[in-house]
Parts: sequence; C-alpha cells; structure tokens
Amino acid sequence: MNQSEELLKRLPNDIGGLPAGPFQRIEHELLPWEKRCHALADVLDFHKIINTEEKRRGVEALGGEIVGQLSYYERWLDAFANILFAKGIIAPSDFARKMDEVAARWEDGLPGAPASSTT
Amino acid sequence: MEPHDHESTHGAHDHPHAEPGASERPGYYDMMETALRELLIERKLVDPAEFRRQIEVLDSRTPALGAKVVARAWVDPAFRERLLANGRAACEECGISSYDETELIVLENTDKVHNLIVCTLCSCYPRPVLGLPPDWYKLKAYRSRAVIEPRTLLAEFGTVIPDSVEVRVSDSTALVRYLVLPKRPEGTEHFTEEELASLVTRDAMIGVIPVTANQGST
Repeated sequence: MNQSEELLKRLPNDIGGLPAGPFQRIEHELLPWEKRCHALADVLDFHKIINTEEKRRGVEALGGEIVGQLSYYERWLDAFANILFAKGIIAPSDFARKMDEVAARWEDGLPGAPASSTT
Repeated sequence: MEPHDHESTHGAHDHPHAEPGASERPGYYDMMETALRELLIERKLVDPAEFRRQIEVLDSRTPALGAKVVARAWVDPAFRERLLANGRAACEECGISSYDETELIVLENTDKVHNLIVCTLCSCYPRPVLGLPPDWYKLKAYRSRAVIEPRTLLAEFGTVIPDSVEVRVSDSTALVRYLVLPKRPEGTEHFTEEELASLVTRDAMIGVIPVTANQGST
C-alpha cells in the first residue's frame, strides 16, 4: 500500500496499533477551566448541541499540527467554537466581541470573571 | 500531582498553567470557555444551573464508586451475575446513576483471561463509575500500543501476564464503555466488603494492574 492510500485509511485520531514512543504515566489534577470545559462538553452533549462523536470529529478537523501542539481541553474548546460557528449557533463576530468583553473584566480590575470562580 | 505535561509525545506548549488567582488574568482558553458558555446561556441553549450541577456531578464521580461495585461483585454472586449481564443497571442498583447515554460492559478477569480497556480514538472511559480518565489514558503511547502490544505495555506497568492467560483488549466508543472486574486477591477471604473495596484501585479497573491484598486505594 502506498503512502497516500495509507493516509486515506486513517483519520488523525485513529492511532490504534501505530508505532508510538515509550509509555509515561502522566497525570495531573484538572485545572478549574479544564473542569469547566468538561462540564460544558457534557451539557452540550445532553442537549445534542454537540455530541461526543461531533466533538471527536471537530478535534480531528483541527488537523495534525494543532492537535499536536494543543492540550486536550484546548483542542476541545477550539473544536466547540468551530462547530458552533459551522452550525450557525454562534457567529464568529459575536464570539470575538464576547472574548473582548471577558478579557475586559480582568483588565478593568474586577475580582474574577464571574464564571471563573465556579470551582 | 505530576508536573503539568499534557502531551509530551506531541511536542511542547509553553504557556504558563498557574492556578488562576483572583488578580491574575486568566489564560486564553480559560476565557474562551467562559465566552462560549456565556454565549450559549444568553441564547438560552443551556442553563447555568445545569452547568453548575454538572460540575458537582464530575466532582462526585471517583474510582471509589467503581471499587464499591467490584467489592460487591466479589461477595455477592447474584450481584456479580447481574453486573456482568448489564453493567449500567447493576451500578444503578448501587446508587450510581449513568449521567449520559452510554452502555457499560463489565469484563471479568479470571485465571484464563486478563482484560484491558482503552479508547484508541480519543478518551472514552466509564466516567460514571471511575470519574475522569488519567492523562496517560488519553495520550498516544497508551492508545496506540494497547491494541498491538498489550503484554509489553502491561509489563511497563509492572504487570506481567503469563502466556497461559489470554489478554483481551476492549476499545471503548462514544456509546459503549467498559469496566474491568479484577480478580479478588488471595488472602482476603475474611475481608469485609468495605475492606475489599479499599483494595480496588482505578488502575486495576482499567486493567493495567492487579488488585493486591496489601495495597490501599490511591
């Protein structure tokens, strides 16, 4: 099988059985925003706004370079944004405005973005 | 806690990960989570109370729940039968609800079969009974190698499976999750159900290590 055929057979996440480096027993306690991201993912799934398969495909659609560079929950958030844009649920311009608003809360010296204190 | 290193097999990312304090500006992704959630709430697509409740659900799910189920299966043969027949229903019997639509298949380790669970595509895991998976479960080395060289991988956990024992690897999906029912260790005949539960670790229920009589749950 040539290389292009091999590529067609596997999406970026489909790595079962491929050669991989040594196993490392890495663990970390979730950061507050990571836990919030997980809860958000669950709620999106409950409402079928973004289900688990869509989320996985959304991460695959980020492409190998982004998948390689970003952490687990960073990928999820990028995938969520893209999926919500593609479904027309959130407009990119609304997202950009909201990001500025969230950042401004901190720049204005407010003690903690309201949602960031959830944990 | 290990140093924060998500994806050492996939190259570095170098932004800082300090716990956000009250005066510290949150990171880009921290703000992105807030922005997306608030936009969804403003559009009345999700309810903030539901989101807060899910944070509490996540906090409440730990491997202690799975350990309770395992210990009960060891002492109660009828429960064991029900657990192997329908994992989800048997866990609900123990007061452990499934908060999603996933099916739970419980795989019993015996003298002839050792089970190992993985999610090659991503990170599916029996979260209602074990909580969230460890990082290594989500990383490339575990996902790639579990299905092609499980014995070598298990040996890296210090678990050497004799050639006479079959190793079965089950690959989780979005809808079907697995939990390993480990072998009850020898020398625990007089243990109470609670004492047995205290021996059962998360990693034993993933199938990467056995349960031993002198090991506390971590």
